[in-house]
Amino acid sequence: MTKDEVQGATEEEQAQSKKGLKKQQKEAEKAAKKAEKQSKLAADQQGSEEDDFAKDRYGVPPMIQSQQKLDRVLVRVEDLSPEKADQLIWLRARVHTSRAKGKQCFLVLRQQQFNVQALVAVGDRASKQMVKFAANITKESIVDVEASVRKVEQKIESCTQQDVELHIERIFVISQSEARLPLQLEDAVRPDGEGEEEGRATVNQDTKLDNRVIDLRTTTSQAIFRVQSGVCKLFRDTLTNKGFVEIQTPKIISAASEGGANVFTVSYFKTSAYLAQSPQLYKQMCICADFDKVFCVGPVFRAEDSNTHRHLTEFVGLDIEMAFSYHYHEVIDSITDTMVQIFKGLRDNFQTEILTVNKQYPSEPFKFLEPTLRLEYTEALAMLHQAGVEMGDEEDLSTPNEKLLGRLVKEKYDTDFYVLDKYPLAVRPFYTMPDPNNAKYSNSYDMFMRGEEILSGAQRVHDAQLLTERAMHHQIDLEKIKSYIDSFRYGAPPHGGGGIGLERVCMLYLGLHNIRQTSMFPRDPKRLTP
Amino acid sequence: MALRELSSLEKYLGLKKPNKYSTQGDKKVPVLQNNNGPPLVGLGTIASHLVKEAKRPNLLGDSAESRAVVQQWLEYRVTKLDGCTKEDTKAILKDLNLYLQDKVYMAGNQFTLADTFMYFGIHPIIVDLSVQEKEQYVNVARWFDHIQRCPGVRHHLPPLAVLRNRIYTSKHH
Repeated sequence: MTKDEVQGATEEEQAQSKKGLKKQQKEAEKAAKKAEKQSKLAADQQGSEEDDFAKDRYGVPPMIQSQQKLDRVLVRVEDLSPEKADQLIWLRARVHTSRAKGKQCFLVLRQQQFNVQALVAVGDRASKQMVKFAANITKESIVDVEASVRKVEQKIESCTQQDVELHIERIFVISQSEARLPLQLEDAVRPDGEGEEEGRATVNQDTKLDNRVIDLRTTTSQAIFRVQSGVCKLFRDTLTNKGFVEIQTPKIISAASEGGANVFTVSYFKTSAYLAQSPQLYKQMCICADFDKVFCVGPVFRAEDSNTHRHLTEFVGLDIEMAFSYHYHEVIDSITDTMVQIFKGLRDNFQTEILTVNKQYPSEPFKFLEPTLRLEYTEALAMLHQAGVEMGDEEDLSTPNEKLLGRLVKEKYDTDFYVLDKYPLAVRPFYTMPDPNNAKYSNSYDMFMRGEEILSGAQRVHDAQLLTERAMHHQIDLEKIKSYIDSFRYGAPPHGGGGIGLERVCMLYLGLHNIRQTSMFPRDPKRLTP
Repeated sequence: MALRELSSLEKYLGLKKPNKYSTQGDKKVPVLQNNNGPPLVGLGTIASHLVKEAKRPNLLGDSAESRAVVQQWLEYRVTKLDGCTKEDTKAILKDLNLYLQDKVYMAGNQFTLADTFMYFGIHPIIVDLSVQEKEQYVNVARWFDHIQRCPGVRHHLPPLAVLRNRIYTSKHH
């Protein structure tokens, strides 16, 4: 190494160390500032704690482990009305939004689909620190609040309780939410296209479903699933009044009921079993066992790999089966009357929920006729033909044609609900009763809501011999359905029925566009969680 | 295609003797060998010639303005409509729908050659439209249905169903 080089090197070192020194100095300064800030903050806090007269009026109490039975009545948000004005009440709700403004903090407290405006203001009940605390409560946290109800001069447009607001006197956080939410509730209820100019976000379906627990808190979801519960209740009540018996059927079965292609196979000890595609066989066996009129509400499984807006792999089936006297139209009348009772019940008792859903997903009110319109398959084909659709006499309806037919029927008869009768025999399952007047057709029917199928049903073959013939015609292994056929050997009454998809009924009644919106935890070929 | 249109037009015009046509180039542009003159090339040119031969000059327009409009649509047909891609059709239908909003025929209130040739040219597009799309382009559909029902125009093309009622925009409010 030459002298020059050595010198150069040391110079470099020096320069480097100089830089390092500066850096260190800066860091030290920063740390000092930070420490100063922290000590100041601590002092502030200490100081504030000392002179906070309201420190018993807010905070985070210990976790509720059922330590005490408080004699406290929690009022429901939906019950907050001007009649309660000037009363001091307790309430448990979520913090929907909070907005601090100087000495005041506005909160929107939400309980299910209802919300109310609340206010913490510095005064003789609340200190500066309390307002600060209230403003820092994270969104979606659950709080207990003591407040007095006050009438307001001007209606609060953004809340469901528009005539009153709450003046908070105490506020305690019962359960704290994490600060970052996977999705914002306001974004999840925004109608398509609205707020696009302001660049506001909407949440796509998959994000909603991935975070279903939060998405289900939205007013829209709350309303949808209340309507769904209503459909089930109305279905049960109507049929029970008609003398039907509710039955429970096994979902693990030994043989596929409608062809083996679209069933889930499960391992069953040393052999395998299937998940039921419908309670078809069992409800028919109940008819043979003299139950006369039965219905069943339960899960139904379809292993179809179809990723459409209206297919799920598991859904709730509302199934009906009944014995009739002479003509299967008795069954159609019974089912359509049940549907009409459901539509009427929803229209009369769920108006608030329907309007809530309409706010995000606008649709026309659902229309139906009494008695329900019944068209024959050939009439429907004629209508489609007139509209320029080419299709064969014994061809099944494709989805686009089904929808088009729905529009044509709506235009002609002004109804969103109708029955299509007398399907071609070839497109129906083996247990469908052939039409006595024309062997090409059958005593089977579908029901449609807003142009989409919701129910498929038929008169069943109740004669063991004809049933065997039909099964053989469909090339079904007789060995596998032996017990089914045998149940008709000891006297079986003529009967018919049908199965309805609960999610589809809700979706189409509310005019929604995706069945996942009416399934709480949807299952499709691509989704198994949550 | 163009040749069948020309023979349909001959029938419509009531010309007794069918002409013999040849085609030229990759795009099969029709050519009519004229006995007492040079050959006529191109759909619009030959069609105008046939109209004159049949002594129906009003089909080309009865005023300077309408003659210009007819020529303009013949041009449109050959340059825009023929050989348009799937993506173009939406824009074409939208434009036509707007244009036909206040017209019975392409050139206003009288039937002209423009209607015949626009009808021939748009038929393959209309045939693929769903009922809903036909309703979306309701003015095009109305004009199309009217032209296909005009006596003697349709000839080699199958009639298409056009609904007279709107079924997608609800009026039951």
